[in-house]
Amino acid sequence: MTPRVLPYLLALALTVVVLGVGAAAFAPPAAAQPAPAQVKPLPRSATPAGKDVSDRDVVTKRDAAGQVPATGKPRTSTGTALAFWLFAAITIGGSIFVITRKNLITAVMGMVGTFFGLAALYMLLYAHFLAVIQMLVYAGAIMVLFVFVIMILNKPEDEPYATKGRAGKAVAGLAMAYLIYRLASVLLSVDRNVTAAQLAAPAPTAEGYDWGSTAAVGWNLFNEYLFPFEAVSILLLVAVVGAIAVARPLKDDDGEVLPPGDGGRGAGGA
Amino acid sequence: MLMNIGFGHFLVLAAVLFAIGAAGVLLRKNVLIIMMSIELMLNAANLTIITFARMHGDLGGHSFAMVVIAVAAAEVAVGLAIVVAIFRTRRHADVDKLNILKH
Repeated sequence: MTPRVLPYLLALALTVVVLGVGAAAFAPPAAAQPAPAQVKPLPRSATPAGKDVSDRDVVTKRDAAGQVPATGKPRTSTGTALAFWLFAAITIGGSIFVITRKNLITAVMGMVGTFFGLAALYMLLYAHFLAVIQMLVYAGAIMVLFVFVIMILNKPEDEPYATKGRAGKAVAGLAMAYLIYRLASVLLSVDRNVTAAQLAAPAPTAEGYDWGSTAAVGWNLFNEYLFPFEAVSILLLVAVVGAIAVARPLKDDDGEVLPPGDGGRGAGGA
Repeated sequence: MLMNIGFGHFLVLAAVLFAIGAAGVLLRKNVLIIMMSIELMLNAANLTIITFARMHGDLGGHSFAMVVIAVAAAEVAVGLAIVVAIFRTRRHADVDKLNILKH
C-alpha cells in the first residue's frame, strides 16, 4: 500500500465505521405517527393583527393561537430528509477534503463547504440566528484569516501526513480506536425512535419570540448568559492584542527589523 | 431511518465530523491543517450543542454555541499569529520539526 492512499483509506474507513454504527443505532423507520397535541404555529398571515402592529405583539397572539391543537395531517419530512442528507454529505465531504488534500487552498475550500453545510444544518435545527452567525464568522472571517496566512506562508507541503516514528503512529492509532469506541458506545445509546415531536416545529419561547430567532437568542443571551457574553468580549480583546503582539516582526533594540530565517538566534546573541 | 430525520441523525453526523477532525489532528503534520481540524471538532461540538438545545427546548444552548464560536475565532486569531511568527523565524510550519524545546 503506497503511503499516499493511506490517509484516504483511513478517513473512508473511519467514516464507514461511524456511519455504520450510527445506522445500526436506528430502528427501522417508525411510521411518523401524528401527534395530536402537536403545537403547530399558524402562518403569519393568519394572525388577526394588522401589518403596523409591532412584531412582538403579532408573535404573542400567534403563540396564543398556536395552542389550538393542529388537526389531521402530520408534518411531512421528505423535504427535510433530502435537505439533511444533502447537507450532511456536503459537511462530511468537505471535512474529508480538509484532512486529505495536500494543497492548503483546496483544504480551505473544503472547509468552506463544511461550514456552509453546517449552517444549513443549523437551519434544519431551527437555529436561524446561529446559522447566519456561522456563515458570517466562519465562512467570512475565519476563512479569510486562513487564506491570508496561507498566502503569506506560500509554501507547499511536502508530506501529506505524519509518518515519523512507529511509536507515534501506534499512539495515534490507539487514540483513534479509543475515540471510535467511545463514539460508538455513545451513539448506540442514542434514542432510536424518531417521534413526531422531533419532527414538529418548536414552540415559541416564553417571551413569545420564534424559537431560535435573533430576538429569542438575544433575550436568552442578555438575561441568563450575560456574564459569559461579557467574558467573551474581554477574551476577544485579549486575543486581538495577543495576536498583534505575537505576529509583529522581530525588532532589536534599535528598532531595526531583524532578517528572518536565522531561527531568532541573531537577537539572542546581540 | 432515511426519511425521518430525528435528533439522533444530527448527533451521529456531529460524531462523524468530530472523528474526522481528530483524525486530521493525528494524521497531518502541517500546522494549518491541524488548526483547520481543530475548527472541525469545535464545529462538531457546536452541532451537538445546538441539537441538544432543540431536544430540550432550551435556548441556552444557542447562547453557548455563540460563545463557542467567539472562542474559536479568538483561538484562530492567536494560533495563526503564532504560526506566522514561527514561520518568520524558522521558515517552515511542520510540527514534527518544531522540537527545539526538547533539547
